[in-house]
Amino acid sequence: MREPGETHAGGAAAVPFFRLDGVTKRFGGVVAVEDVVFDLWPGEVHALVGENGAGKSTLMKIVDGLYGPDEGMLEVGGEAVSFSSPREAEAAGIAMIPQELDLFPELSVAENLFVGRKRPRTRWGGLDWEAMQGEARTRLDALGVDLDATSTVKRLSAANQQIVAIARALVGEARAVIMDEPTSSLTEREASQLFGIIEDLTAEGVGVVYISHRLEEVFEISDRITVLRDGHHIETASASDLDVENLVRLMVGRPLHELFTRSASSPGEVALEVRGLTRDGEFEDVSFTLRRGEILGLAGLVGAGRTELAQSVFGIRPAESGEILVGGQEVRVRSPQGAMEKGIFYVPEERRSQGLVLPFSIKNNITLSILERISRFGFLPRSERQTAEGFAKELSIRGAKLSDPVGRLSGGNQQKVVVAKALAREPGVLLLDEPTRGVDVGAKSEIYRLMDDLAKEGKAILLISSELEEVLSMADRVLVMREGCISGEFGGGEATQENVMTAATGGRSGADGPGEKVSGNE
Amino acid sequence: MSAATAALKRLKFSREAVLLGVLISLVVVMTLLDPLFLSPTTLLNTSRFFVEVGLMALGMTLIIITGGIDLSVGSNLGLVSVAVGFSYAAGLPLPLAILFGLVVGVAAGFFNSVFITFLDLHPLVVTLGTFALFQGLAYGLSNADAVSDFPPWFAYFGQAYLGPVPGQLIIFVVAVAVVWIILSRTSFGRYVYAIGNNEEAARFSGVPIRRVKIALYSGIGLLVAVAAVIYTSRVYTARGDTGLGLELDVISAVVLGGASIYGGSGTIGGTVLGVLIIATLRNGLILAGVPSTWQLFILGVLLLVAVFLNEFFRKGEE
Amino acid sequence: MSEAGADRRGAGGTVFLRFLARPEAPALIFLVVLVAAFTLANERFLQVGNLESILTSVAVLGVIALAVNQVILCGEIDISTGSMLGLCAVTSGAVATSAGGLFLPLLAGVAVGALAGAVNGLLVTLGRIPSIIVTLGMLYALRGVILLVTGGTWITGIPNDTRVLGTGRVLGLGYPVIVLLLLFVVMEIVSRHSTWGRNVFAVGGNRRAARFAGLPIDRVRFLAFVLVGVFVGIASVVYLGRAGSVQTNTGAGLELQVVAAVVIGGTSISGGRGSSLAALTGAVLIGVILNGLVLLGVPGIWQDAVLGGLILLAVTTDVVRRRLVGDRA
Repeated sequence: MREPGETHAGGAAAVPFFRLDGVTKRFGGVVAVEDVVFDLWPGEVHALVGENGAGKSTLMKIVDGLYGPDEGMLEVGGEAVSFSSPREAEAAGIAMIPQELDLFPELSVAENLFVGRKRPRTRWGGLDWEAMQGEARTRLDALGVDLDATSTVKRLSAANQQIVAIARALVGEARAVIMDEPTSSLTEREASQLFGIIEDLTAEGVGVVYISHRLEEVFEISDRITVLRDGHHIETASASDLDVENLVRLMVGRPLHELFTRSASSPGEVALEVRGLTRDGEFEDVSFTLRRGEILGLAGLVGAGRTELAQSVFGIRPAESGEILVGGQEVRVRSPQGAMEKGIFYVPEERRSQGLVLPFSIKNNITLSILERISRFGFLPRSERQTAEGFAKELSIRGAKLSDPVGRLSGGNQQKVVVAKALAREPGVLLLDEPTRGVDVGAKSEIYRLMDDLAKEGKAILLISSELEEVLSMADRVLVMREGCISGEFGGGEATQENVMTAATGGRSGADGPGEKVSGNE
Repeated sequence: MSAATAALKRLKFSREAVLLGVLISLVVVMTLLDPLFLSPTTLLNTSRFFVEVGLMALGMTLIIITGGIDLSVGSNLGLVSVAVGFSYAAGLPLPLAILFGLVVGVAAGFFNSVFITFLDLHPLVVTLGTFALFQGLAYGLSNADAVSDFPPWFAYFGQAYLGPVPGQLIIFVVAVAVVWIILSRTSFGRYVYAIGNNEEAARFSGVPIRRVKIALYSGIGLLVAVAAVIYTSRVYTARGDTGLGLELDVISAVVLGGASIYGGSGTIGGTVLGVLIIATLRNGLILAGVPSTWQLFILGVLLLVAVFLNEFFRKGEE
Repeated sequence: MSEAGADRRGAGGTVFLRFLARPEAPALIFLVVLVAAFTLANERFLQVGNLESILTSVAVLGVIALAVNQVILCGEIDISTGSMLGLCAVTSGAVATSAGGLFLPLLAGVAVGALAGAVNGLLVTLGRIPSIIVTLGMLYALRGVILLVTGGTWITGIPNDTRVLGTGRVLGLGYPVIVLLLLFVVMEIVSRHSTWGRNVFAVGGNRRAARFAGLPIDRVRFLAFVLVGVFVGIASVVYLGRAGSVQTNTGAGLELQVVAAVVIGGTSISGGRGSSLAALTGAVLIGVILNGLVLLGVPGIWQDAVLGGLILLAVTTDVVRRRLVGDRA
């Protein structure tokens, strides 16, 4: 652990590289961050943690010039600045590597490093590709990776694309690099390669803001930690003064056991069984059973194939081989309508793009999945409103009228509308994909209580979640996926942070190197 | 800020009122240019010329609301015209020839929908291809020739009157009512808006997207076919280049009526007003003695202005 | 690392695989197969004279396709080129009949084309109107302008010194072919060696990332539309030379052939992937097919149908190819 302010290159700095002071940002009526303080010193790793929706990404997008703050200010090198684009932030030495990488998949590695930058020219004024590739190779070598600079980026593994994004930031002479969940799709070995790179960067005086919800790695690499909760600054402390337990308490705002509600369960007969389900390049030979009244957790890294699996069971991406059985009967699910008829409903992770029709009213969203059922000869019935009202009440969607467009609701209320739409269809099997993502703590605990109630009613629930605490506290059983396969299954008492993470990242074995998952030729 | 928002909201409510205002002022100008314009006979007569475009615009409204487009309607109209005329000339009884034409129109629309839904291709690309394909088939099959020796009763479809009212105007009014009810009162109509606003969310909610799109593109094929029969009857000639360029009138009318070219919004009322405005304009330009060469230019510019104003106001609302 | 490894394998197989990965590969293979088939059907097909006449016949189409290719790479589309060619030909034709020579008509055609292209570009970038609607509107508006300025009459009697670009020969090759190949080489160099040329790929490949990288997205797209105007202007003088007269419907329907050429050649209609070679291959392919149909005795009125079928075939092939290689993006 290093002390803040201590630099590894270029002597002691008197001021932080950048500093946010009293920053507030609202979207419509919703406050995303309020009166937040944050700074980054050269050569340090400053972790930014908080639950989903705590305001981490919003805060860093302000630093990166994507949003302007409504109040407060940003200082770089002690002077107030205001960026109107990421371009200006880059000119000031700040680069952000978002979770969804801003790369050009059809272009080569070398070119990706130089898009939008001054490129080397030949004597005749043409672009000097040799020089560009040479420079790219130098940059990649400096990061300790052996990548072909002429390869098309879309052919690289997730880990190598991440490295290209870092190299791109460094070509832009970045002195501060913001990494948003960089390891969410990396195996353990790839992650430790990334940590090595981060260490090299800080040794050269580059500051790193590290956003992650994997708390162990936060402690492994960071010097300081700042906690955000519901848009507010809660704490900034040296990593050595904190431990996982009190960090979690700071993030959640209350002891963990008060957040979750889970009654003792007694699972009934098998509601859903999956045998040898395979879809090329996404998941392979997956089998599991899910019982009535049971909550089955599905853990794993981003990109491990969990969402793909659930969407396959829901008929969005039909499997190529394998069987799905509902109530003991084999069924063929080729479309979401088909899945719904069999009593399966999937609540997507991408709420705004997949869960909701944002300009539609609450009512029209809730009834969208049951229109065919309630309409007579295709005509919409007058009872539509009461039907919607019933579900809105059941889920206690507060502070909004049925006729309000859902686009204006808070994350928590939006999620409740999505769940209401699912429940309207009276499914026996619910597939919940990151159901508490981007939801405030209050709504979170309501959603947990709802899940518990639904399980008590005898519904079978598959809970996909990247928040380990959530899986461990809510699930009766935990399945772990890694690279498209089931890599572990743990009964009630057996699941722990360690063995679930090991199964998810392939920890000890660590056999697979980066760049293995290249999909054939074009 | 709230006052400005409220003002913009009022503007949104009155979009159709604005169109109505434009229509009325057009009629006034036309009447000033030619006093006969406002007589009931002239007005009703005008209606004979916009029904074909109007019918296609009804279907196009729904398609544009889903975020799609159909550039092949003009070519399809020519193809149906040829199908009716040449199957009759080849010896098929006229009622069967007309039925055959309707089948061809629906089949052409269905053909579009197959590419759009099963191959997941953008409607723009598909209908650009079928625009050429249908037109080429119409030319090829007719050998660039024309048929006009129809029996007298064929004129009924495009030239008959019920009292002072042209027959096709009645067909149009019925079609407007039916499509309006479908869009505003049925689950199908709700699906159309859901797909246009967020197709992915609609899919995840169990909306039968393929079925809706197949119905839409086949449906506009039917409307095109009806329009083709009326058109062929009105001009009493079946030939391959019938309907050439009509897709521009149709799309202009829908966009002028307030449908967003990006999908998600649009109304039947707006489209009907759009159709009337374009018809009045075309008719008025002819009455005013403006050379027909100007009309293409004015129509092209009108389309651009309409889209521009639409998106401009939409941005204001958000 | 497997990427590096794959690159270092360095056997003949790798060269072949690299070729297959190129966007224009399927079209090139199809072209070779087609030429072989037509030659088997009619051995006159492969004669030098016939091949040159095919290239000459697609020179106008090919030149315009090279520019529209850039627009499509940007993720936009331009279907106004048919009317634009008509307007440019009317302008350069009028200048040719009054002033003669090659330079002034060419300058006039290029200037009018660039102006029309700039209107397209401005409406797309500043007006924020989808390019399909802009260029559809312009397709009709420009045709209206043609009728307006000509009053519906033909322009005839183009002097011979203007027609040289369509009729002249040098080094055993016709000027139309030389112009086409020259502009192809220019576009290959621009694509590979100019910042704008590279930015076109970036803007069409990932517009969000391009914005964050600070690329001048509007300027890149605007220039692409202007380039179309300039190339249409050049093509109009080639057209003048070949046709010797301008009609009010000159260029009608060409816009479809141009888009067909680009898409058939292998440039992705959604942008970011493609090449100038693809556009050229597509244009030649269309020329070969139309020429082949004539040799096989198919009447010319079927051209449109064949063209429409080809567009559908090309985009379908692209979808199938992507599904086969699992490129689900």
